[in-house]
Amino acid sequence: MLIFDNVSRIYPDGTQAVKDVSVQLKQGEFCVLLGPSGAGKSTLMNMVNGLVEPTSGKIVLDGELLTKKNLQMIQRSISMIHQQLYLVPRLSVLHNVLTGILPLAGFWQCMVKSFPVKDQQRACELLSEVGLIEKHLMRRASELSGGQQQRVAIARAFMASPKVVLADEPVASLDPAMSRSVLNSLKEAAQTNGATVLCTLHQMDYALEFADRIIALRDGEVFFDGPPSDMDADLQRRLYEIEHENLETQHTPTVKPVKKPTQPHLVDIKEAVA
Amino acid sequence: MNTDTQINKRRDWREWQTYQAITPKTILFLLVAFVLLSWSGHNTEMDRAAVETSKAVLSAVGIGDSNVLNGVSKFGSQAFPIQFSARTELSRLEGVDLQHLPWFSYVEEGVSREYYVDTDSWTETKAEYLVEPVGYLKKVLWMMWETIEMGFWGTVISMMISLPLGILAARNYSPHPIVYQMARGLLSFHRSMPELIVALFLVLIYGFGPIAGVLALATHTSGVLGKFFADEIENAPKGPQMALSSAGANPLKVLRYAVFPHVLPAWIAYIQYIFERNIRTATVLGIVGAGGIGMELKGRWDLFDYSHVATILLIIFITVVVLEFFSQKLRNKTL
Repeated sequence: MLIFDNVSRIYPDGTQAVKDVSVQLKQGEFCVLLGPSGAGKSTLMNMVNGLVEPTSGKIVLDGELLTKKNLQMIQRSISMIHQQLYLVPRLSVLHNVLTGILPLAGFWQCMVKSFPVKDQQRACELLSEVGLIEKHLMRRASELSGGQQQRVAIARAFMASPKVVLADEPVASLDPAMSRSVLNSLKEAAQTNGATVLCTLHQMDYALEFADRIIALRDGEVFFDGPPSDMDADLQRRLYEIEHENLETQHTPTVKPVKKPTQPHLVDIKEAVA
Repeated sequence: MNTDTQINKRRDWREWQTYQAITPKTILFLLVAFVLLSWSGHNTEMDRAAVETSKAVLSAVGIGDSNVLNGVSKFGSQAFPIQFSARTELSRLEGVDLQHLPWFSYVEEGVSREYYVDTDSWTETKAEYLVEPVGYLKKVLWMMWETIEMGFWGTVISMMISLPLGILAARNYSPHPIVYQMARGLLSFHRSMPELIVALFLVLIYGFGPIAGVLALATHTSGVLGKFFADEIENAPKGPQMALSSAGANPLKVLRYAVFPHVLPAWIAYIQYIFERNIRTATVLGIVGAGGIGMELKGRWDLFDYSHVATILLIIFITVVVLEFFSQKLRNKTL
């Protein structure tokens, strides 16, 4: 399904963020990426998304090699849930979810905000799957609580029927109870839609609870790869502890996005974010 | 290495350089500024303005005599009572049914004076006049409405120009740097041309009337509005835009869904302001013959009909106040 074949990434400043990672994800797998800060989790995710180019190695999605040329094609089968959500605050919940199919929808339909009933019903279905109710539908996204906004972001991610959903610390800003229920929604949505999820987390207990498979990275290398039941206490301790000793030599890489010629405005956005 | 250590050597705190508010440099600067201001103030007759105004104030309390106060009282005595009625000689009107006069109007006997150039003398003949008590007020109100319409259409056309130009002039959505520079250039060109001057030219081209006024308003304000639009687009939050574009949506769709909802309130506020401003400016544009209430104002002013002028000024004043009131209400609602 999603195959990393000997993928490495060296940043211009010489930091090796990802080192010879070879992983194969199966369809419908809920895979949690663990690892200390700077271990290469984000780099790995951004390489799937096309924001970062691998220095060497191949990434294959559903039998198609990820290259600059077919990036836009492949982006359509990948959805991303960002840590800061990036919903459009003044847009209604329904339309925020519908923005998930913007790349597929007709141009003039988009301009006048007139989406087919079929698509709107799909959005409603997804929203109810993640636990929102009808009265939320026409509210502005900014009027919802943090957890509800996160659910809208999840619904948006599944709107385009993606094969892969990348979730970058989706519960970083939520309280434990809310985190658990949001992760639950995410997992259920992934199961009903048959999507593979690659989700970075910082909380070990959530990873153990929700993951079908845990991939732990340390210094850009795969440290552990297997079901949560194999992740014993000793491994957990070592994953974060060793990094502690390396603290002085470690440096955080600055993410430089790949320039995408087809979307000139995107480059500006990246620069502004950085 | 040696100099480094010297610079970095710690000095005793008694020797530290403290902050000085007034230095010789400040005094010199103030002196130069004073000289320049006096020169420029004399150029613009600011000194005379001060003298004349104080003389007027003194004269108002009974000390001395002042040209300014005389001017004011001359205008005041002729402006009041304000002229609301219209008085027209019956023989000049056609098809007036004396049995069914318009509401509240009546026929009055009066004297018609005519001047003969050949003999340099006035002749007086008896004549009948039709008097409409609020006839002139009605006419002025109608002209004010026309002025408001001019402002409205000026705003509409300026929106139609500035919306596409604003998008092209937003750095992150412009298709090419050259297009960006051209759009920005065009916008500042529009902005830099004052309405009155544009209207002068347009009156030459289109003739007297509101066309020239509307187009002049549209040209100037499209420059202002376009720049506002472009700046708002550039300053919209980048996160949602990135989220949509990294999912593969094309720039126009990103603009529609991640940028427009965000900038809409600000745009509405700008458009409202421009509309308000356009109406205020439209009242003046008539002075160069570009339609609206200004044309009537100019005509009456040149005939020294100050009581009519007073009516026009009163209506303009009331309109502007009412407009401001409503736009404030609307603004509170949209934001």
